[in-house]
Amino acid sequence: MGTVSSSHGGRRVHRQAAVFSTVLLFREALYGALVIALACSVLGVYVVLRRIVFVGAALAQISSAGIALALWLAGAGVALGPITHPTVMSLLLTIIAVMFFASGARGRIPPDATIGVTYAVAAALGILLIAKAASGEAHDIFLSGNILGITRGDTLVLLAVAVPVLVLHLIFYKELLFVSFDRETARTLGYNVRWWDLLLYLTLGIVIASAMQFAGVMLVFNFLVLPAVTGLMLSHTMRGMFFWSVASALAAAFVGFSLSVPFDLPSGPAISAASGAFVMLAWFGRRLAARR
Amino acid sequence: MSSLVTFDRATLGYGRRAVLTDISFDIPEGDFLGLVGPNGAGKTTILRALLGSLQPLGGSVTRSPTLRFGYVPQRDQVDYNFPLKVLDVVLMGRYDRIGLGRRPTDADRKLAHEALEHVGIDRLADRPLADLSGGQKQRTLIARALVGDPNVLVLDEPTNGMDLVATTQILGLVRELHDRDGLTVLMVSHALNEVANYVERIALVVEGGFRIGTTDEIMTEQALSEMYGIPVEVDSFDGHRIVVARRQASTPAGSRV
Repeated sequence: MGTVSSSHGGRRVHRQAAVFSTVLLFREALYGALVIALACSVLGVYVVLRRIVFVGAALAQISSAGIALALWLAGAGVALGPITHPTVMSLLLTIIAVMFFASGARGRIPPDATIGVTYAVAAALGILLIAKAASGEAHDIFLSGNILGITRGDTLVLLAVAVPVLVLHLIFYKELLFVSFDRETARTLGYNVRWWDLLLYLTLGIVIASAMQFAGVMLVFNFLVLPAVTGLMLSHTMRGMFFWSVASALAAAFVGFSLSVPFDLPSGPAISAASGAFVMLAWFGRRLAARR
Repeated sequence: MSSLVTFDRATLGYGRRAVLTDISFDIPEGDFLGLVGPNGAGKTTILRALLGSLQPLGGSVTRSPTLRFGYVPQRDQVDYNFPLKVLDVVLMGRYDRIGLGRRPTDADRKLAHEALEHVGIDRLADRPLADLSGGQKQRTLIARALVGDPNVLVLDEPTNGMDLVATTQILGLVRELHDRDGLTVLMVSHALNEVANYVERIALVVEGGFRIGTTDEIMTEQALSEMYGIPVEVDSFDGHRIVVARRQASTPAGSRV
């Protein structure tokens, strides 16, 4: 018995070591996923609290359509310099959409209908462009992204985008909070609400566009919504909500990624599933706390 | 007394559409004015022009350079989904004084506690805003307006959706802020009966019509019947004035009721 048990134990240790070394092999991808998780989960707090979840979804979709457009242009032999680089094109289209969403007034059309139209058109265009792109190997960028393809250089680019955005959010936290919470009162105290809205949407667009080609629509949308929902359920303060949002996003990125490698699962959906599990845990935790 | 805000033959509206024309009145220091009228009559238009978020289409709206509003929005305009403590919300009233990119100091927190004490709810400073009753939420928003040290307190429908007790307490508090602290107050409301017994002057807005005067001048059967376009009765009970529409035998088709 002892021999069998020790043999089982040995196999388990061996397997764990194999998993660990596989995760280590893809550690650059994990670092990239953690940077995306961090940036999106901070901005996601505003996305959830301001009830603009579907603006996040539409921006993600537009961003992916930008990547598709760049791939299609490259396939068609159109070279317009850096503008046809997938990230640059994605950023450009996302910023145009950001200006549109931040401008507010849309006449008689309800805001959610405008977002719905944008989402649907961007999704369709993205798929059509990819279908006709010569280098259209990136069919799955629209859903699961390509987390495992993240290199050290990509992570540095992601950091170069995320760090300034997060510093801006740290410096102007109280202004962004005020215009998000009660824009009319902020206006009476001299705040230019439109400019602050624009700053928030711009940072959101930049983070989404830079994360999109690695994380895909599903994972970016997940990081913008689920961690913030976890944070909202676990805390009664803004500080607590930010903490739990970031902590659950980083944990989901780590757990989902680590499980996806040995089980040969797509990393994006695995991380999204882990995020979903954290939301469920937070929900149970909140219910338990309410019963006491 | 010097005037804090002056509307001079102002035409107010959106785009090219005028909602109110030829509006003239001023708000002198120490005034306690009720801006009253049914929903959709143009109260919010006047309020927005007063606060500066709507430019007049004609005429002028002049504000004193010393003017500082303490604005109390309608309670349902604030999103209670935000995980904020009462003290955090009150501190927002000092954000413009604190300055861009800076954090509130202990001195700001002390002032916020004093404002909460002033409205009688300092004990709730660390409670989540969402957990408070309607009256307590309203007091929090009033404390936030006061902490910025305003010279005009502007309240938008402060008693909307409140029960009788909370309504009486909030209106009593506003009256106290005017009487005790000498604060100029503008209260916007659709409820003439509630406001008329607290304010000193009334600006009545009814379907494009505008009339302003002391409470005694406005709360007459003749003035109110003219403004509302139906026979109105003003009764007095225990020193309180009550406005009731006279019962009509039949309502001709197409007439206003």
